[in-house]
Amino acid sequence: MAREVSESCIDSLLTEMVSSYCNRFDANKPELAGRRIEAIGYQVGHQLAERYTMERPRFSDHLEAIKFICKDFWSEVFKKQIDNLKTNHRGTFVLQDNKFRWLARMSVDPSIENVDLSQDTSALAENKATQAMGMHLYFPCGIIRGALSNLGIPCAVSADISNLPACSFVVRIKA
Amino acid sequence: MIACVAVIGHQNNPLYIQSFTEADDALKLHHIVHCSLDVVEERVNNPKKSGPTLNETFLGLLYPTENYKVYGYLTNTKVKFILVTTDLDVRDADVRNFFRRFHAAYVDAVSNPFHVPGKKITSKTFAERVSNIVKSFGLSSAG
Amino acid sequence: MAPPGAPRSGDAIFASVERVNAELFTLTYGAIVRQLLTDLEEVEEVNKQLDQMGYNIGIRLVDEFLAKSNVTRCVDFRETAEVIAKVGFKMFLGVSASVTNWDADGTCCSIILEDNPLVDFVELPDTCQGLYYCNILSGVIRGALEMVSMKTEVTWARDMLRGDDAFELQVKLLKQVPEEYPYKDDE
Repeated sequence: MAREVSESCIDSLLTEMVSSYCNRFDANKPELAGRRIEAIGYQVGHQLAERYTMERPRFSDHLEAIKFICKDFWSEVFKKQIDNLKTNHRGTFVLQDNKFRWLARMSVDPSIENVDLSQDTSALAENKATQAMGMHLYFPCGIIRGALSNLGIPCAVSADISNLPACSFVVRIKA
Repeated sequence: MIACVAVIGHQNNPLYIQSFTEADDALKLHHIVHCSLDVVEERVNNPKKSGPTLNETFLGLLYPTENYKVYGYLTNTKVKFILVTTDLDVRDADVRNFFRRFHAAYVDAVSNPFHVPGKKITSKTFAERVSNIVKSFGLSSAG
Repeated sequence: MAPPGAPRSGDAIFASVERVNAELFTLTYGAIVRQLLTDLEEVEEVNKQLDQMGYNIGIRLVDEFLAKSNVTRCVDFRETAEVIAKVGFKMFLGVSASVTNWDADGTCCSIILEDNPLVDFVELPDTCQGLYYCNILSGVIRGALEMVSMKTEVTWARDMLRGDDAFELQVKLLKQVPEEYPYKDDE
């Protein structure tokens, strides 16, 4: 049987990784912090793609590889599949997870969230919260990009959380 | 007996190559491995209808030479494994079993956080595992 | 060793919590260490930051630990160390640890880990010989103990990545704040 750890391990590790980069290593440089967190995800995705494709035939096209990410890969990592896959047939794919586990479970670090929560700036506060959540999404975006690039599909990946708790990952394949 | 095994990256860059013969024929074996890469390309781009199933990672016998048989395997991540044997009578199942175990060892080696993708595999653990897999080649029931 | 309220065994808790494939955790931790080495450059600094990250995790995990283990109060350092090894490691990492090497006055011991999911697949390159790869663990222990009023110093005595036959953490009690119990507002 495959080795397991408690889910709290991964949750607290990811929470701490994001807060370390945002508050200590790259404080006030959110873009740099984001790039570095994405790079961590990229390495993980690259390695997971290698592991999860071990006993299966090679994919014959991009769509097949993307479907693999939506089904098998997502199930291994999140215990559920992507709920909805859309494409414009010109190299852009949107993968929607209706209840993205890492946003649902992860406590967004209050020290990022509570920067300057004055009463009269609730819009700003909301903005801060969104920003903090955004920091948590660099990692899964990196995972997807790392996995696809190892499968021979160079791409850019971004996340859209305008419909929480749903989260959409937008994959743009580089021509 | 296995004469040589190799891992070749997706840009045809050698990531690992090891020969297991007493004789001083490393150069010749490397040459054989090198030549086999073209056959892999060809095999992948023009799959034979009668050959192994479309897109299967195991590519089967690439070509026989006078003294060797050369087999190929291509992962989903476009990494090639090449196996050169001196046996001329090799069971397909043994070769498949070899590649399955070799692939598992490879995947663990590149899961080392310090391994840099596209760079040579220098892991001692990997070298040991490969050596064991090579030794047990052809002994049936080897898991 | 059994305080009131029947504490649960590490195995029972591990069986009941949400679990994930360890690969994801192992690879993520590895990628973090690798990235820290790139960003912070100095191995010493990476050791320090891993310990700090662990400390922050430890002070947060202790609540979950107390809630799920049903451990209400550990009388002394000796008992606390046992609980961490037997219950704590098991319920989070799925492996059990043991406690040995007690000194005469019961303020210093070793936690020994023979199986450690953090290091599956890991081989240290020659350039990282000073790295305490698992330093996050020492931080977690230090942080968790601090939340139950025990100031400790945690150091590595043995490390399998450096060729030893087990992982051994030496835990030394520096100061025990004789206060009632954890939920103090300020430190």
